Amino acid sequence: MLNLILALSSGVVGGLIVAMMPQANHRLRNLVVLVFSASGMVFSWRVAQMVFAGESVKIAGEFGGLAWSLAPDPLGAVFGLIASTLWLFAAVYSFGYMAQKHKQRTYYTFLLISLSVTLGVAFSGNLVALYLFYELLTFATYPLVIHERSSEAVKAGSKYILYSLSGAGAILIAIVITYRWAGNLDFAGGPILVGCLKPGLSWLLLLFVGGFGVKAAIMPLHRWLPAAMIAPTPVSALLHAVAVVYSGVYGILRVVYSVFGHELMGQLSFASILPWIAAFTILVGVAIATQQDVLKRRLAYHTISQLSYILLGAFTLQPWGLTGAILHMISYSTLKVTLFFCAGIIAEQTGETKVSRMGGVGWSLPKTMAAFGIASLGMIGMLPLNTFWSKYYLMKGSVAGGRWPLALVLIGSGIINALCFIPTVVTAFSGERVRSDTEQGGRVALMLAPTMFLAAISLFIGLWPGIVWSGVQAVVDWFF
Amino acid sequence: MTAAITANLPVFVVIAPLFVAFVLPTFARRMRLVEGLVIFVEALGLVGAGYLASIVLAQKGIPIIYRLGGWPAPWGIELEVGSLGAFFLLVIAGVSLPVALFARGNLTKEVGSKERVTRFYVLYLLLNGALAGMAVTNDLFNVFVLVEVATLSCCGLVSARNHPRAAEAAFTYLILATLGSTLVLGGIGFLYITTGHLNMGFSSQELGRIWQDNPHVVWVAISFMLVGFGVKSALFPLHLWLPDAHSTAPSPASAILSGLAIKGYLICLLKILYNVFGHTLIQAFAVHRILVLAGMVAIIAGSILALTQDELKRRLAFSTVAQVGYIYLGLGLVNTKGLTGMLFYLASHAVSKSALFLAAGAMIAATGKQSISELAGIGRKMPITMAVFTVGSLSLVGIPLFSGFIGKWYLILGNLEAGNIIPVAVIIIGSVLCAAYLFPIIRTAYFEPVADEDWQDPGLPQKISLILLAVAIVILGVLPGPFLELASRAAAEFLVLQ
Amino acid sequence: MRILLEKLMANYPYFAAVVLFTIGALTVMTRSNLFKKLIGINIMESGIFLMFVAAGNIRGGAVPILDEANTKSVYINPLPSALMLTGIVVSVSVTAFALALIVRLYKSYGTTDAHRIAEMRNEVSER
Repeated sequence: MLNLILALSSGVVGGLIVAMMPQANHRLRNLVVLVFSASGMVFSWRVAQMVFAGESVKIAGEFGGLAWSLAPDPLGAVFGLIASTLWLFAAVYSFGYMAQKHKQRTYYTFLLISLSVTLGVAFSGNLVALYLFYELLTFATYPLVIHERSSEAVKAGSKYILYSLSGAGAILIAIVITYRWAGNLDFAGGPILVGCLKPGLSWLLLLFVGGFGVKAAIMPLHRWLPAAMIAPTPVSALLHAVAVVYSGVYGILRVVYSVFGHELMGQLSFASILPWIAAFTILVGVAIATQQDVLKRRLAYHTISQLSYILLGAFTLQPWGLTGAILHMISYSTLKVTLFFCAGIIAEQTGETKVSRMGGVGWSLPKTMAAFGIASLGMIGMLPLNTFWSKYYLMKGSVAGGRWPLALVLIGSGIINALCFIPTVVTAFSGERVRSDTEQGGRVALMLAPTMFLAAISLFIGLWPGIVWSGVQAVVDWFF
Repeated sequence: MTAAITANLPVFVVIAPLFVAFVLPTFARRMRLVEGLVIFVEALGLVGAGYLASIVLAQKGIPIIYRLGGWPAPWGIELEVGSLGAFFLLVIAGVSLPVALFARGNLTKEVGSKERVTRFYVLYLLLNGALAGMAVTNDLFNVFVLVEVATLSCCGLVSARNHPRAAEAAFTYLILATLGSTLVLGGIGFLYITTGHLNMGFSSQELGRIWQDNPHVVWVAISFMLVGFGVKSALFPLHLWLPDAHSTAPSPASAILSGLAIKGYLICLLKILYNVFGHTLIQAFAVHRILVLAGMVAIIAGSILALTQDELKRRLAFSTVAQVGYIYLGLGLVNTKGLTGMLFYLASHAVSKSALFLAAGAMIAATGKQSISELAGIGRKMPITMAVFTVGSLSLVGIPLFSGFIGKWYLILGNLEAGNIIPVAVIIIGSVLCAAYLFPIIRTAYFEPVADEDWQDPGLPQKISLILLAVAIVILGVLPGPFLELASRAAAEFLVLQ
Repeated sequence: MRILLEKLMANYPYFAAVVLFTIGALTVMTRSNLFKKLIGINIMESGIFLMFVAAGNIRGGAVPILDEANTKSVYINPLPSALMLTGIVVSVSVTAFALALIVRLYKSYGTTDAHRIAEMRNEVSER
């Protein structure tokens, strides 16, 4: 209970403290940001520990006659863990990346506030709380998207708001319908709509998936994501590869397993189309990614594709599929953040944002490109990396659900992924050896440390997947 | 003494502002006294409304009936403070007190001379009395008289600024509003001719007996009422007078006109539709479908028109056109949830829109700039004003924790109960459009480079007034308890009749 | 047709009310001169007043004063006339206010034509 409150409030409190601090004092501010991100992480771990130990952690209340509750279950705990842990890395990376950039105070304020809101999404115990934090997340991250303040950034920001609010509107309608049919919005105690077989259920599912699908960037609702890449790199890494998009994915997981339940889903005709929509997004997303020359845009389309891996696992409605989905949520986030961090270092140190002009970059930034190479291998699903395991379970789930072509889609996507990233790494090391050694200095060290560390974590999980297994197992047991 | 006051409270809430309005000009030289008196009367109104509401809540739905002059109903005139009356009295007092506070010591610049300020307050109190009267009256002809008093004072408020554009807007408003009230009077005439009663209850009973013999007359009466009140409450194609009138008026007047005056007409229409015609007739004549359709059109059209405005107050004025659509949409939902949502939305919009207009007024007064694009960076210079503006915007858009969300929640529930699908979509599209026309203002204010000018938050009374309204929005959004209770009871009472 | 005509003849005050109302409404909407608009409003209101007063009249009814000598005991309904007294007062105040506004507008623009005023206002705001 106390841990939950501390985990949720540390971001907001830290954000407000940063907002009130004087502009000039960078060191003190960085310290505050570090302390509060760390405390957010520590308390999230404590909450997760309690959840996995089977204790009930819950805060509930009421606003406007609507009950809300914050009661993390294993799924929420896993999401909270991923988000808060990566937040710490992103904060450290920001200290390096954002030094000498403008409007740092606004940046750190909203970065910390977004941490709280994301944890709120993760720990929500019913649809009202989920909706509330989901909506707030849009506004909390908006200032980060338009951080550049250029007209392009403002345009991207408007697109982001418009897409998100439309999605939230669809969700609101769906929640009200659910409330009318079931009279209850709590996740605890089994799926909400269980035993509520009505003719409009498919439409309700469409509303939910369409609403959360905006943030989960299901095609064709993905357009805001590449545009939002105008944001500073740590934000792109954290929010547009993990926190914000995961809130959409998390919402869909909730809808599938907590609102409808896998048994009810199995009876809906619309539910059987969903894996194919995810498969479509996987293939088309990564195919578009290979066409992009700007590295961050390439990564953005790649994100769109990878998010659908998770959704595909969820939509198979098989225990193995869900196992794969949760594993992929964990593995993919570490790798993608690594990739973005590398892209940021490259852009900052050499000024190159386009893949075609990155020849020889590898010699001047060897550590960065090494991390990039590791993460690339992970995206293909090679064995020593953690994504191998998640892909394995995703395929197992697809086959178990009797949809073996989906397994082929996953294999095909792995091949396109190889086409997407291997040439980049090769180019980086094949150009002229302009060895000016730009990986020196405190600023780069601050950016490089979290990058390398995350790459190491990915390898570690890949070699000993047992360390995350208990969490994944808890989620799957919870729903099946 | 106290017993005499509490027993006569239903009439006091109406005549207290009227009385002070007529006394006010005698103190015209002493500005502080005038302002003090106005705020005092508004505070009294709030206390009275709160007391009446607590009685109504305690009595579990039995209304307080007050007979003017002691004459019983079919002959005398009745005032009825039921759940609806208490609810609307609270809204009136809750909005007009902060607005009066905002006007304190601040009007001379906008209005001109001291005498004009006093006249402004006279009209302000007259409007207040008329609105309170609309909340409690149970007599058809009184409705007409109160509507006329409100209309004339509104026109006066619009022309309060000594500017030819204000006079022009006031004239357009006066002509169209009088057209509207003439139609309303015609509608009342038809009702009186067919039923022989002016008391709403008796008229309704009589109508229930005879409407099948004279369906045409009922139809004509309903359409007169709809068009008449439609003009007055700026229902979409009849809104032509509103943008000019609300944007040229002094800011406190804009706040009260957009926030309350329109709501008064809507309450009258609500009473006539549901207390006189009754829900059976509404359904028999398919009026509810017309209302829902008109509401949807107003939401979309108003929002799109608002998007095209660059002048801050005009954008807010067009936003009112859109928001009135939500209330009309709610009027057409013949079920408890929908009507609750409609009433709650009405209150929420009253508070939010006055907060927005006052904040906009403070910004325009401080900067002298009218257009949105010129207000870059104002959020840093006037933090409190802009914070209140943001709260008001979030409420209009319907973000949880703010009052608008609860209104929308119940409106959607009501629509689903009535089996309407398209209006639900329109409500959500309206919210997105609302975000599209309000958030650019906030973005410009906070995230664009700060202009190098000496803009400052307004004085203390203005700050208090703005903060009061913002707090009211949040309280309505988080703990609406008794307020929602009153609204849902009023809604239930409308459907019990007949 | 004959029945219709007879009905009209019997209810001629209402017929007159409708005609007045229509004339008034048309004048308000089609005329651009501010005075004519105002006159239109007044004609419209007269139509409604006529309707009310006609509704109160009962042919052959006595003056509504309690009179022992009156054997028919059918009285005219005095209420509508009383109501319309209020209505007329309201109408007069509206007219007075509108006239004041017209004077104000004439002083600023030198015309009482709504279109001209709109044109001049736009010119000012464009400059």
